[in-house]
Amino acid sequence: MNDFLELVVGATATGCIYGLVALSYLLITRPTGVINFAVGEWSTLAAFGGFLLLSRLEWPYPLGMLLVVTMLLLIGWLTERFTVRPLVERGAPPLAPILALLGMLVVFREFASLVFGADPQPVPPAFGFGRLELGPVAGSYQSFFIIAVAAAVFAAAWMFFERTLAGKSFEAVAIDRRAAALMGINLRRVTSLAFAASAGVAALAGLLVAPNVSAHYLMGLPLAIQGFTALVIGGVGRVEGALLGGLILAFAEQFTVRYAPVPPGLAMGVPLVLLIVFLLVRPTGLLLPREART
Amino acid sequence: MKSLLGMTAVAVVLSAVAFMLGSYQTDIYRKLLLWTTLALSYNFLFGIAGQVAFSHFTFYGIGAYAILILLFQVGLPLPLAILAGIALCVVLALVVAIPATRLEGFYLALATLAFAQLFIVVLNEGGTVTGAGGGLANYRLPDVFGVRVTGPWYTVVIVVLLLSTFATLWRLDRSWFGRACRAVRDNPEAAQAMGVNVARTKIIAYTITSAMAGVAGMVYAFVDNTVNPPIFGLQNSFLLLFMVIVGGSGRHAGAIIGAALLYLMPFLLSPLIGHHHALVFGVVMVAVVLFQPKGLIGVWDALVARRKLVP
Amino acid sequence: MKQVLLNRIRTALAAALVVVAPMAFAQTTIKIGLITDKVGPAKGFAEPVAQGAIYAVKELNARGGLLGRQVELLVEDDQGRPDVSATAARKLVDAGAAFILSVSLTPATQQAQSVTLESKTPHMTPSNSGDTLTTQIVNPNFWQTGPLASTQIATLLSYARNKNFKRVALITDNSDLGQLTNRFFKAGLEKSGIQIVSEEVVPGGSTTADPQMQKVRAANPDALFMTGVLTPENALILRSYRQLGLKTPVLGNYNLSIPVYSSIAKGLLDGVTFVDGFDPAKPEAMRFIEAYKKDTGNEPYNLHGYGYDGVMLVVDAIKRAGSTDKDKVRDAMQATKAFSGVMGGVGSVYGFADGKRTGFDGNGMVVRVYEGDKQGKVVHVGAK
Repeated sequence: MNDFLELVVGATATGCIYGLVALSYLLITRPTGVINFAVGEWSTLAAFGGFLLLSRLEWPYPLGMLLVVTMLLLIGWLTERFTVRPLVERGAPPLAPILALLGMLVVFREFASLVFGADPQPVPPAFGFGRLELGPVAGSYQSFFIIAVAAAVFAAAWMFFERTLAGKSFEAVAIDRRAAALMGINLRRVTSLAFAASAGVAALAGLLVAPNVSAHYLMGLPLAIQGFTALVIGGVGRVEGALLGGLILAFAEQFTVRYAPVPPGLAMGVPLVLLIVFLLVRPTGLLLPREART
Repeated sequence: MKSLLGMTAVAVVLSAVAFMLGSYQTDIYRKLLLWTTLALSYNFLFGIAGQVAFSHFTFYGIGAYAILILLFQVGLPLPLAILAGIALCVVLALVVAIPATRLEGFYLALATLAFAQLFIVVLNEGGTVTGAGGGLANYRLPDVFGVRVTGPWYTVVIVVLLLSTFATLWRLDRSWFGRACRAVRDNPEAAQAMGVNVARTKIIAYTITSAMAGVAGMVYAFVDNTVNPPIFGLQNSFLLLFMVIVGGSGRHAGAIIGAALLYLMPFLLSPLIGHHHALVFGVVMVAVVLFQPKGLIGVWDALVARRKLVP
Repeated sequence: MKQVLLNRIRTALAAALVVVAPMAFAQTTIKIGLITDKVGPAKGFAEPVAQGAIYAVKELNARGGLLGRQVELLVEDDQGRPDVSATAARKLVDAGAAFILSVSLTPATQQAQSVTLESKTPHMTPSNSGDTLTTQIVNPNFWQTGPLASTQIATLLSYARNKNFKRVALITDNSDLGQLTNRFFKAGLEKSGIQIVSEEVVPGGSTTADPQMQKVRAANPDALFMTGVLTPENALILRSYRQLGLKTPVLGNYNLSIPVYSSIAKGLLDGVTFVDGFDPAKPEAMRFIEAYKKDTGNEPYNLHGYGYDGVMLVVDAIKRAGSTDKDKVRDAMQATKAFSGVMGGVGSVYGFADGKRTGFDGNGMVVRVYEGDKQGKVVHVGAK
């Protein structure tokens, strides 16, 4: 039973990471329809930023975290400004920004490998590697920190979309771009904000997962795929979907390894099989968007 | 140029080159021909039929492993192994394509990406059948009618593969099927309204091109005489996409230029940029998408048009 | 007048020839090829070995070179990919390499062998540890002086003899070398009558090793043998080990001797036992460390030593062969015996006895234990 509860904490933490990456996709896809595979590389850059500021220069954690997230907000904004906006304004087919971002994925990754080398680098966790026991439930400090941060981010995102005017304008753009523009919503601002926010969330994911997996220039693609799988499972329509999808994915992965009599290598296939199944059976994901519910 | 005579002439020239090259250069030449073959079939799938798929290189791998397993583990004679391998590729392509017709643009890309990853997982866990992480090695092409096809003669086989792939795609493109594919690519609803069976067109396009990739894979298996999981990873799928886009998607000439350029570039630029050629690819890709979406072939067309204007 | 001019020109040409000819001869270098991984998964292991080799060539050339000629090291990058490794080997053979050293991944070295077998080019890996490299392809031109997995487990078992392990767990990754090392460790353990109660795999790209380590904990083994070679995954395993409160003794393969663990697995290494081919207190090793540090300003570690020894073994063979003729070099290499290098415990030597092509001394590995995050001193030598 002990094992089970411990695994619950660990899987929840991993699920939160996947959920954050899924949210990162969602923030861009909802208003613009663009799928940005480079979110994984944003996480990688954040992880290396964490290495630089927190391991090398030994800044205090909150300060380092703040600077890394801010840097990524800027990078997200710049990415949109220079590789997506020209395409959108030119009326390019919807595939074009996706391809440009795929090119950027390679650019970001090679940049990381060029600047930081090909070796994995350590990134410190927020509260050290100790262990916390809350009654029958136990997990590492970092796991609890991840869960706390993810909860905060998702709560904030939910508040933003449900309760603020700005959030509603995002929704409006998602539903109908042209109508939204006609209603006076500044499409450009929404798109810029979307990209910046997406990068910020991806940064958090990278910074939070790096203490365990090390900052490594190849860490982006697996994260991107897992995040996208989480998004498909949970549904692109709602913020909560991203988190739900992430949790389902992480639990499926880890509990299969622990309890299923299946060779562990095949457990790597679990997210892929889930992805394929969902794409075939329920591409819209588990949670339907707001408007379809009422 | 596309007449039989033209084709034969090109075949002779390309084959003659094979007899003049040293061991290292032959290796590069063969791989160049294979990449061009793949780019041509991928161009049809992506550029002409409009399907964003990451599974093309995976079928290359499926073809390669299939022929090896069928030849050396199941023990089939070569001609039968080839046919069985093609059949396997067709079946797997249908398995992917039929459900995928319901998926739009991006979801298709994702499903094929997952399929590609799944293939690698299966390879890694395949134990002695697939050779797991180390792959299969230590084999060689069985004699065909008692003749050992090796060296420059094998390169001729690759030339034949390339040209027959090209010829087939050219014909398909020119036919009503090619038009149907383009119609589906540009506007599925309109195509449907005009009587094109959208789902069937998509499935056929996917299956044919994937089977072509599979056949290329079978030929590849005997080039390096080794197959292992890293060869068929996602890196190469992206590279294929980049080749087609940089060259100019939708145009056969574009695929050829893109393949040649991106394949040879690392060798030529190596002294300059060391091993960071991936960075150059990424930058070139972004540049092409931003500034010349028609690819290099678009640049060529513009130059030719300008030439024509000047008396 | 014309005759005088012609004579002058003739003399000048003759003089020029006399000057140029020996220069032309001296320009011919002896080429040794090196296939390494600069960007791929093996980079962390291959590059230091390559650095050691590069330094060896530099030192050699400064002392007069080989057979009166300078040695030129032709370095190729195979990106850790076996198919590229074969191409790189072809390029080196075409360029006239007298000997090829492979320091990249085990499957890459294997693939390069298909080229050296065909071209009868002498070929060696001074660092790969996969046992099957000399058995899967019968290539009389190929030798292996890296620390074999079978030697590693024999050494660890010899060290652990008095600890009486009866039931142990194995944990590895899904890389080719990790699986291979696991196979040989398992064989060695089973031969000693030890029962394997848990065998886990942490695939590359995992975010945690908790589920696997929970299974290990549930099996309650006397010891845990780490046979994986992927650095991030080994760090995950060690982290899980601490997190889950495991106390089982951990014994690692030689991969855990790489210094990068001191930085990415900080705080996790204390008490971890590992096997290595390097004793920094050995006189030859100390000499090498001093000289390398003086020349490059960096402190070398065990991997550099493998590269250095590799070059020195090749050079010794070519010297004994008296030329770069492939057949002569092959025979000379096979005849290598009692060659004392930087690697191995005190008193261990390289040699290819009885037609074998693996040369690392079977009793030449040492066992060390991490003290804090630093590699402690040698606590056991050999596999007896």
